[in-house]
Amino acid sequence: MDKRDIELIRALQKGEIFLTERPFHEAARLLGWTVDEVLERTRRLKETGVIRRISALLAPGSAGSTRGTLAVFDVSDYRAEETGSLMSEHPRVTHCYIRQRFEGFPFNIYATVCAETDEGLARSVEELACVAAPSPYRALRTVLEFKRSSPVYYTLSLDAPAS
Amino acid sequence: MCGAIGGLEALVLSRILGDFPIAEDPYSEIGRPLGISAAEVLSIVRGLVERGVVRKVGPFFNPWKMGHVSTLCALDVPGEAVKEAASLINSYPEVTRNCLRDGSPNLWFTVMAESKTAMGKVIAEIETKAMRGPVRAIPAIMMFRVKAGVK
Repeated sequence: MDKRDIELIRALQKGEIFLTERPFHEAARLLGWTVDEVLERTRRLKETGVIRRISALLAPGSAGSTRGTLAVFDVSDYRAEETGSLMSEHPRVTHCYIRQRFEGFPFNIYATVCAETDEGLARSVEELACVAAPSPYRALRTVLEFKRSSPVYYTLSLDAPAS
Repeated sequence: MCGAIGGLEALVLSRILGDFPIAEDPYSEIGRPLGISAAEVLSIVRGLVERGVVRKVGPFFNPWKMGHVSTLCALDVPGEAVKEAASLINSYPEVTRNCLRDGSPNLWFTVMAESKTAMGKVIAEIETKAMRGPVRAIPAIMMFRVKAGVK
């Protein structure tokens, strides 16, 4: 990545910029650049797909009222890809990955499942277990969510002195 | 959702849920077809943010195009130490998600950084400071495109 693009990306991520009257002027001011350079580089980042889109993000409709679980399965390697692909079709599955097993944790397919009720959640996990059958599985219920935030790109935290 | 959304508000909202203009005066561009000024658009947008209807307005990046890497991590922490470990983990901007789950390990979090080196540093630092044994990094080997949810 171009050094100036990285500086621009850092500036555009600042939360308040897009709530000012002229956001790209505000970015230019913060960077000490001309607004033309900000606009030109932003457009290019968009064209090349580094910026997927600029838009509003709706807050989740009823935060707190949905239940989530991470269901993990120990599926034989030879059928893991096929099984994961079938699971990803399930309407309640929001993420699905194959990951490496680790010591004391022999599971390789990770599927996050969301539902409005505990019953709905349990049913979905059972349906996934049927897809994976007879593989062992576990449902790791979300007990408490400590953090869910937008990613920060090109963080500076590791360059900064320890706080 | 918190509070009803009025007519003009709905129009502004639907406009900014689409593509935000990359222009010198984007709020004027949004307001023009609606017959309102930039200041009026902005005050509607601010209202939507303040009421919690909109979580943010801004760019969404493709981290992979920037060479960023990420991984799921897990750490097993005894019940009484969970709060402290969780707030240590939360303090890193590289951590985007962190939650307590049933079973062992019980703390699950996601780390994203601009390079493998930077990601490794964050994980190592958390491991050292938490003093709760190894942080397991469990990168994805394969990701499936899901039908549910929005991405």
